[in-house]
Amino acid sequence: MTETHYQGKLHHLQKELMSEYYSALTASANGSGVPAAYLLIGGNPVELLRAFDILPVFPEVNALQLAVRKQSLPFIQSAEFMGYSSDNCAYVKADIGMYFGGRQTPFATIPEPSLLLCNYVGCNVYLDWFGHLAEFTGQSAFQLDIPFIRSASGKPSKEDIDYVLRQLHHLIGRCEEITGRKLNEEKLREAVRLSSLTGDLWSKIKHLTKRTPAPYDAYFDSVTMMAPLYCLRGTPQGLEFFETAYAELLAKAEAGIGPLEKERFRYVIEGPPPWPHLRAFRDMFSRWDAVAVASTYSTVGGLWEFGFTHDPDRPLESIARHLLEWNLTNRNFLQRYEQIERYLEEWNANALIIHSVKSCRLFSAGQGDMREYFTKRGVPTLLVESDLEDPRYFSEAQMRNRIDAFFESIAHRPTREGVKV
Amino acid sequence: MKYAAGIDVGSTQTKCIIIDENKQIVARALTDTGANITRAGERGYEAVLAAGGIAREDVLCVVGTGYGRFKVSFGDLQITEITCHAKGASMLFPETSTVIDMGGQDAKGISVQNGEVVDFVMNDKCAAGTGRFLSTAAETLGLALDEIGALSLQARNPVRLSTVCTVFVESDIMSYVAQGKKIEDILGGIHSAIAARTIALVRRVGLKPSYTFTGGVSLNIGMVKMLEEKLGAPLNVSPDSHYMGAIGAAVFALEHALSATTAS
Amino acid sequence: MSTQSLPRSIERLVEDCDRIIEEPGFAPAVAWKRAAPNRATIGCFPVYTPTEVFYASGVLPVGLAGGGNRMEIAHADSRFQSFICSIVKSTLEQGMTGLLDDLDAVVFHSICDPARNLASVYTRNFPETPVEYIHFPQNFEGEDAARYLRDEYERVARFAGELSGRPMTTEDLRSAIKLYNRVRETIRRLYALRRDAPHLLRARELYPLVRVGHLIPPEDHAELLADALHAAATREGRERDRIRVVLTGSFCEQPPLDLIAAIEDAGCYLVDDDFLIGRRWFTGNVPENTADPLLTLADDYLNASLPSPVKHDMRISPSELLVERARTHRADAVIVLCAKFCEPSLFAYPLYRKALQEAGIPHLFLEFEEKMWMFDRIKSEIETFVESLLFD
Repeated sequence: MTETHYQGKLHHLQKELMSEYYSALTASANGSGVPAAYLLIGGNPVELLRAFDILPVFPEVNALQLAVRKQSLPFIQSAEFMGYSSDNCAYVKADIGMYFGGRQTPFATIPEPSLLLCNYVGCNVYLDWFGHLAEFTGQSAFQLDIPFIRSASGKPSKEDIDYVLRQLHHLIGRCEEITGRKLNEEKLREAVRLSSLTGDLWSKIKHLTKRTPAPYDAYFDSVTMMAPLYCLRGTPQGLEFFETAYAELLAKAEAGIGPLEKERFRYVIEGPPPWPHLRAFRDMFSRWDAVAVASTYSTVGGLWEFGFTHDPDRPLESIARHLLEWNLTNRNFLQRYEQIERYLEEWNANALIIHSVKSCRLFSAGQGDMREYFTKRGVPTLLVESDLEDPRYFSEAQMRNRIDAFFESIAHRPTREGVKV
Repeated sequence: MKYAAGIDVGSTQTKCIIIDENKQIVARALTDTGANITRAGERGYEAVLAAGGIAREDVLCVVGTGYGRFKVSFGDLQITEITCHAKGASMLFPETSTVIDMGGQDAKGISVQNGEVVDFVMNDKCAAGTGRFLSTAAETLGLALDEIGALSLQARNPVRLSTVCTVFVESDIMSYVAQGKKIEDILGGIHSAIAARTIALVRRVGLKPSYTFTGGVSLNIGMVKMLEEKLGAPLNVSPDSHYMGAIGAAVFALEHALSATTAS
Repeated sequence: MSTQSLPRSIERLVEDCDRIIEEPGFAPAVAWKRAAPNRATIGCFPVYTPTEVFYASGVLPVGLAGGGNRMEIAHADSRFQSFICSIVKSTLEQGMTGLLDDLDAVVFHSICDPARNLASVYTRNFPETPVEYIHFPQNFEGEDAARYLRDEYERVARFAGELSGRPMTTEDLRSAIKLYNRVRETIRRLYALRRDAPHLLRARELYPLVRVGHLIPPEDHAELLADALHAAATREGRERDRIRVVLTGSFCEQPPLDLIAAIEDAGCYLVDDDFLIGRRWFTGNVPENTADPLLTLADDYLNASLPSPVKHDMRISPSELLVERARTHRADAVIVLCAKFCEPSLFAYPLYRKALQEAGIPHLFLEFEEKMWMFDRIKSEIETFVESLLFD
């Protein structure tokens, strides 16, 4: 029942790199002269910003860092005091509260934005979020509109791609204004090349959990690797991190070492984690010797494990494709069912956990239908509820009750493959 | 004769059951959980042993269940009350396919096969469909909780509730009283609304007869009739429905003890 | 549509509209469809639908407005959680209980995350029903978006043409634009009349006159509205001591009619609102007889439309526009009436609140659900608010 943590090089390197990243943010806030752009995680053109040496700031990452350190609540409350509803996304509330709290966090001073890059990739709340930031900062937002995947084929149309490319050209123009420099095509290609290699490694890392035992938890440990994926993608440090990560996890896989002493259940998990209660939530699964072999949340900013890769020879086209098609948020809800099915099949999982969060309707609205779909197909499915940012919505006793009852019920059942767990 | 015990430590009440080797219930005890949950399990156990005149050494195995199951320190196993409810319901009513549980604090639907949980759904975040809603309603009308069920059966023109939110039911009821609606009709409307919500909840795990109704609210004859009417099927109700979790826990305890014996 | 020789009074018109709205099913739409070949009907989820594109393709755009307060949600709430707005669930429930069977297809738009996921859930649960989804641009700078939206409308027109069996021509579209312009212009006139003389036209009356347009062909609606405008203008009435209110927020899930009446009864003249804004949408007439009417419609969607929380035009400040709106309507107060759990409207509120406070305009924030049907609580809140203003 006990679990082993790999607190090897990977963990320390992540801490070090993120600390450097946040120092750069603080330096920018204190007038280092490096311009900062706010942007959103779901399908993001960070490569373009890197080509201009613009520092990417992800309000979502800042919000989750606050939650993990259990410091989000006062900011959420001050936003609610301003009139934000208890039903509004708590990421936004924590961020707005933090902004009006002098942009001070325990890990960095967040700089004012030189660019508010609102990449609308499916999440409608992004639009409200950045609309409000535009009003508060006095900065005009750049609206990068990515047409939602709405075709039967699950692919963007030619018109969709052309529209995105036209906007990317305008975005380049805006960056040139901000930095006073023309786009350096070589730098862009290099950033895309680094991003491409990083994405490849991330994909390989994801595929490692197909093995038994899985060398890491694809939910609770993936989240450690997600921050560098967004904040450092397109940089040599970012690539170095993923090279280290892959090497370490591959070694674990070859040695048959996993995060648990014994792997009894393999599950796919859908939905963001309860950041303020990550540890407690993780324990509820590991006490059942259950490991996540795949998670949909780890693909919000990019879906690389199904073969997509950025192409340095076609930098803007591949960035456009990434924004349109190869991230979770811009894909439609039924595509998520397909994604989960693929994970269940190819990653050899025998259960689905749906963590439904109140804040994020992009993820959560309709998960009852998802549950019904998978239950009808014979996949043991559990739906639990809490929140990703607001610590008040997590009821430990109730959560544990549901999770225990779930594993009790499947402990005696044959799995889909006809093998008893 | 040897025995097995089930201890169900709920948030307000602790229910304890002892069964013998033949799965016959030989003792029951119902105590208040109180503030000290660890003590609650122990007190309940003492009470049920006394009720049956049974010595501690004669109990082969004890299973703790309910929210306080981990505080049953003297227990051999902890199993959720969901799993125990399914077990208990199947022991009392072997044809059980669906358990509808309406307790003081939560409501559940459990689909059952061979005494085992296939799927379950819980409403533990909100009081609608729980005993708490009904006690708020009873209080507002100045009635005792055990009166309202029978009264609700006398409704001729049940009112339509605009909400199932416990926070608002009070003011809705007072509006109806002010409008001169009959108490029976108000209660009829309340029971109808709660039954409908509960069925909508249980539908998520599938509505398959035979239905076993458990939990404190199963003692409410008005709710029994209303659910039967809406389901178009009879409900299995036991006078021991309050103890369903403890009964299931006791059965698990017996099975565990017997399998340990055969193993060794 | 009016077979009487005498023009109908407002009361009579409203009665007729109420009747059509309350009847389950879509009898007028079905009758229209059967009256000629190559016709189909499509249910349009809020907020804005390019009605002309559908109508020009032979498809009647029927407005969906939720299940109201007569419907119990017994199936759909297992698919969508408790923190999702009612209209998403009631629309799914309508589908599940066969209430939308009269319609040949359904269309959704990118208004918010739950609506977007609803499109997928609907598609999966009704595999026999063609479901379309329109992505409206959220980029208002320059010409890129208009070009994109024009292409999107063209795609939608192809879909609609397949439904009806007859592809749209440019001339069809120009005619449709003229027709819907007439409808919208008359509605604007009715709104202006109410703004200038609210004692002549109650909100409770204007609402069904607009709402009936969801259910009947635009030609009939245009005629009905013209009758209403005439009847209202020649009405007699006495101004009462009420506060003038701009009501914002109810642009998707609709409040029950009795709630609208209750707000007025509590002492308000509603001099402007966001009800059914999708059917009004444009600030003026869409230019007619243009070379590329699809592009014209697309451009006007972006640049000649009323502000709405589902259209995130970051070139403008929505809260400043609200303050301006309150001033041009000589409003004494603003009521922000949001559907429970409605993300876009709840997000709009903090900015509105700040701007209204700074402008010294009193406001009241209220939440409603379409399935409400007891209004005592909300009515007394409004009465208290009105009293505080009248007896200031």
